[in-house]
Amino acid sequence: MRFRIRLFIALLCVPGVLAAQDLAIRNATLITVANGDMQGNIVVRGGKITAVGANVAIPAGIKVIDGTGKFVMPGIIDAHSHAALENGINEGAESVTPEVIVQLKNDDPVIYRALAGGVTAALLLHGSANTIGGQARVIKMRWGAPVDSMYFKGAFRIVKFALGENVTRASSTAPEDQRRFPMSRMGVEFTVNYWFQKAKEYDQNWKDYRASVKANPGAIMPRRDLRLEALADILHGDLKVHSHSYRGDEILMLIRVAEENGFKVHTFQHVLEGYKVADEIAKHGAMASTFADMWAYKAEAWDAIPYNMALMSARGVVVSVNSDSDERIRRLYQEAGVGVRYGNMSVNEALKMVTLNPAKQLGVDKMVGTLETGKDGDLAVFSAHPFAPEAMVVYTIVDGKVLFDRTEANTLRKQAATQTSGGTR
Amino acid sequence: MARRVLLSIAAALPAAFSTVLAQASNPGNPAAAPRVDYALTNVRIVTAPGKVIERGTVLTRDGRIAAVGANVTIPAGVVRLDLSGHSVYAGLIDAATSIGLPSPTRALPAAATADAAPAGRGGPGGGGGAPQDGRGAVLGRSVAPPPPVVLPELDADAEASDMFAPTDDELKAFRAGGVTTVGLVFNGGLFPGRVGAALTGAQSGERLALRSGVGQIVSFGTKRGGYPGTGIGAVAFIRQAFLDAQYEARTEKAFKAGTPGARPSNDPFRRSLMSAATNGVSSWFVASTERQITRVAEIASELELKNPVVVGSQEGWRSIPALKRTGATALVSLRWPSPDSVTGRAYLAVGSGKPGVAPTVTAADSTEVRGNAAALVKAGIPVALASFGGESGVSFRDRIRATIAAGMNADDALRATTVTPAALLGITSAVGTIEVGKLANLVVVSGNDLFAANTPLKHVFVDGRIY
Repeated sequence: MRFRIRLFIALLCVPGVLAAQDLAIRNATLITVANGDMQGNIVVRGGKITAVGANVAIPAGIKVIDGTGKFVMPGIIDAHSHAALENGINEGAESVTPEVIVQLKNDDPVIYRALAGGVTAALLLHGSANTIGGQARVIKMRWGAPVDSMYFKGAFRIVKFALGENVTRASSTAPEDQRRFPMSRMGVEFTVNYWFQKAKEYDQNWKDYRASVKANPGAIMPRRDLRLEALADILHGDLKVHSHSYRGDEILMLIRVAEENGFKVHTFQHVLEGYKVADEIAKHGAMASTFADMWAYKAEAWDAIPYNMALMSARGVVVSVNSDSDERIRRLYQEAGVGVRYGNMSVNEALKMVTLNPAKQLGVDKMVGTLETGKDGDLAVFSAHPFAPEAMVVYTIVDGKVLFDRTEANTLRKQAATQTSGGTR
Repeated sequence: MARRVLLSIAAALPAAFSTVLAQASNPGNPAAAPRVDYALTNVRIVTAPGKVIERGTVLTRDGRIAAVGANVTIPAGVVRLDLSGHSVYAGLIDAATSIGLPSPTRALPAAATADAAPAGRGGPGGGGGAPQDGRGAVLGRSVAPPPPVVLPELDADAEASDMFAPTDDELKAFRAGGVTTVGLVFNGGLFPGRVGAALTGAQSGERLALRSGVGQIVSFGTKRGGYPGTGIGAVAFIRQAFLDAQYEARTEKAFKAGTPGARPSNDPFRRSLMSAATNGVSSWFVASTERQITRVAEIASELELKNPVVVGSQEGWRSIPALKRTGATALVSLRWPSPDSVTGRAYLAVGSGKPGVAPTVTAADSTEVRGNAAALVKAGIPVALASFGGESGVSFRDRIRATIAAGMNADDALRATTVTPAALLGITSAVGTIEVGKLANLVVVSGNDLFAANTPLKHVFVDGRIY
């Protein structure tokens, strides 16, 4: 297989995947998101953007892509995905499982497909079966790297909460006595309150221990409980809450319960009725990651409207648009464009919904999300403006490495078509 | 399984070992056939990897090796076997098998031969076998099979050596592969029990167990109808279980020291893991894929579990940094994964438009998979070879031959099937080399290479009995 990998690398080296992390794109339309659009060059050295602008010099000896007629935008970030996970998305045996961490399947082809859609980073979340689900992984789409090299260093630690029908198992056909608590929205509220009460007691025990151990070195260290420890991390702000939500009333409920218990909802996910309670979301300091349009696909999505993104943004909420799907992850740039058509968002504000805003929600906005000097060399190169119907991703670049090249993908596809599928053993 | 463990302390000293041996046959059963003493004469003796007596004699007495050397006086009353043109080796040790053991996903008894065991795509740790039937039909037995024993996912005190109940055919298959000793590892569950070691001889009513309590088996399984219900939950559960056992050890120590307020919980599950959690015994993680091995490394590092044993290690060559970092021993399954299921194969398939459809598997791909053990030895990682994951002993020697063909040094292969697993299983005083005082576990092969093709085994001795 070593030979094959070499062969494969040799193929990819046409644009230079494992070449140095130095690369320049010349004479392209640069959509910086931060400082408007401009015609010019962008230079990436050592994986970081070192220069971007109209009259930027390209150092000699580095790989140069001709960007004539092409559009370069920051790598797209998906703030809600369950792609490339294995060994379960929901630890649904219990309703409170923040000790659980999702597991990345680093060689899942969906990562390559996401690259084909210009996606360079994503938040891989636990499912929505639990009131308090498991912890997420923020990844960079470093296709081909070992599993622990794909985690996005410096990103927030994030845990999934969920409200509404998924948690109460509203669509479950199991007899009631075989269903899991909570089975109602009242029960969900109780569950959050109950567990944070326990977490505060747990946290106090540790505080008492830390205070007492100074005077009494023989004091017994309390038992570590990974579940309560994670909840205490939420109280301390070290673990950020991303809560699955749909209806305005449940969003208000969680804001109230969070404020009563002394924690913050960092980002509401889906948040389809966010436009009804945008002021309250903004006041709490939460952000929102939503769908472009998911009207009425289930009872609690009845009031979903495509204007949601624009209306929440207008009220000062930082909004992203996410995929939650292995298919939509390939065309998030089109999802963002919906905000221009429905709600008259500016093109730049709409583009922020798949770049800078999700970066803020994942805690990586200092590193990615715009084309600015010092940020990571994560770029999506399009054949046309990303909101143009005919636009396709030509190159996707992560840390200055070309990890998707459409020409080469087409070549590989043709080669694969001439080979037998499956192979021998 | 009612009979308790014979040996729960290290058989590190010959004196301790002699105690083991004295108890090795169950006095409550009909007397086994009397042992015959043998003199294997004119034979090439490989006493240990790389150590050879070109022509000499091995003398057995009461099932143990009484003399080895070029010039051995043969006493009267000994059966002489002239083995000119043959070589004798220490009996092979299959470092881990779950044949003859129940599992959470497979009731005991297992199918008649392990060859029928289905290969879960995820490897030995990836799901285990489906229920197997037809045992009676396969063996032509008319009796109804005994009621199934399904292993609980959480029974950390269970001893594999107590539950080892292989069929005669299964034992025969081990011996046909030159295997005279097996390491016993439950396949599945979360904390299914402890590792043991047993002999592959078969005398009616005789206990096969050689050692128990060798290591604590840890597996990324799930709990039927409860938490953890997924592999992601399993990791959290395993971490918490080790933390609780460490906490139990701390509070117990504090209690004994009279620390005010210190009270151990005396929870049986926590106590059952105390030894492993405090490195009293090693933890044996069932892990085969690159990501599973990475997870083992993360857990071992977080919980300060020293020198874990990675049972399966099928993608070990892809995980060398993780194995090195944790000081792990790789217990390498000779059940090779299909090359097109190996982690990272999808990297070759990216352009196919069909996820998972990779280019045709080549001979080089197979060599890479089979060269796993060789690559690990080269990287300096301790390696023992095992049939774990469903292969029966019958192919053991063939698989070692193929492993050698894929790049493993023959002496390293012999070490990985004798000395290394003996040390790992804590049975060095009893088996692993041809030395005076050890059990007469021997394999005799024509020619001078145990792993050469087309060299049938002439004799296999287990505990001094000839097969």
